[in-house]
Amino acid sequence: MKFLCISCDEPMKITTAAPPDAGGSITAIFACPGCSHQIAMLTNPFETQMVQSLGVKIGPKGDAPDVPAEPHAAAAAAVAAGAAPESLAAEAAAGGCPFAAMLGDQEELKQDQITWTTEALARLENIPEFVRPMAKQGVEHYAKTNGHSVVDDAVMQEARGRFGM
Amino acid sequence: MKSYHDIVGDGGSNVVGQVEALHGAIAEALSGVRHRLAVGSGKGGVGKSTVTYSLALALRRQGRSVAILDADFNGPCQAHLAGLGAAPWIPGANGLALPHNTEGIGIASFGSLLPDAKPMEIESVAQGEEQTWRGMREFAMLAQMMSSIDWGTLDMLLFDLPPGAERTRQYAHFFGESTPFVLVTIPSELSHSVVARSISALADYPNPILGVIENMAGYYCADCGEVKPLFSSTIKELAVPTLGSIPFDPALAGRSAESSEDPATLALDAIARRILEDLESQA
Repeated sequence: MKFLCISCDEPMKITTAAPPDAGGSITAIFACPGCSHQIAMLTNPFETQMVQSLGVKIGPKGDAPDVPAEPHAAAAAAVAAGAAPESLAAEAAAGGCPFAAMLGDQEELKQDQITWTTEALARLENIPEFVRPMAKQGVEHYAKTNGHSVVDDAVMQEARGRFGM
Repeated sequence: MKSYHDIVGDGGSNVVGQVEALHGAIAEALSGVRHRLAVGSGKGGVGKSTVTYSLALALRRQGRSVAILDADFNGPCQAHLAGLGAAPWIPGANGLALPHNTEGIGIASFGSLLPDAKPMEIESVAQGEEQTWRGMREFAMLAQMMSSIDWGTLDMLLFDLPPGAERTRQYAHFFGESTPFVLVTIPSELSHSVVARSISALADYPNPILGVIENMAGYYCADCGEVKPLFSSTIKELAVPTLGSIPFDPALAGRSAESSEDPATLALDAIARRILEDLESQA
């Protein structure tokens, strides 16, 4: 889909894109580089879902409107400050995890206050968004059942060794 | 006034570039994989997954490094077959670490993540009409899996495909011509007719079809040591070579990578050798 400024006969450029709202609509603003005229493209939930299903991002230079640009930056900062990490279910929903509905009950893990080092969280950036919450849950479950309260590189290395990775 | 094709790009999102980048990432992730092989059928219930896993065991017996990507998102069973039902997905140095079972087979399967007896539910902002976008989402997830898993160096990566003749063709398009196919059937007229449809569906694509594997080709009786027929019908030959016939053996799924003289294991060893020869000759 492309947008053309009729007055200038110039293709319009996307300037900003907001994440889907509660109704599942993305708002993307396009501007004409010639006359600066702006328009807003508002998607319906099915159009939003099609974009998410394709696994691409709409926004300037492909910035993600559907997920935060650095989904774990806030969590890393929170951990560094000694705060509890965000809930997995909330992160799953924000990250477009297809399994968000299956992450439901995290009370047990939350009560155990498993925390992550910034280095360990950074490793999560190397894996697909859609499996991050499940991977995080799996590692936390491993940490909990093996007596670790902090997930760091050593714990993940230990877990990889346990499962022949 | 300019038309759509007069305008270069899409205004900044570069959706086409994002898709191309993902294809590049897949090629990079699979750069250490010597051979890829898709195991499909078109027909459900013919033992594709068990044959895929048994084929991996046969390749291990021949000293090959092998992994399986369970592409059947709606019925993933490779993790279960491999005894890796509870293996978490853990970030490694170069993406997701690939779990290996005790036989040394790498397994990438949603069966490791999903609770038993639960369907894969995909979150959606669209209320309902899942049939309109689910297939697209599954292929996007498959692409992300392929690009994000640290496959390392492999002699063979096997793709365990879901049923459906038309679906099989979609996977051929997705994988590209560098991924040959084998199709699993059983010696029944119904199964052969569906597999024949898959062969026709694949005819428009450049992916080679190495042949069919005939599963459940008679019943191996461990008591008397004989193979007895399971199906009595006379069926037509398919239009591709038969790579081998595997007798039905209730213990097949529980076999290890150890050598064995039982008919099913011997048949799988012969099929694996033939597949390797075919792939090497095409390389």
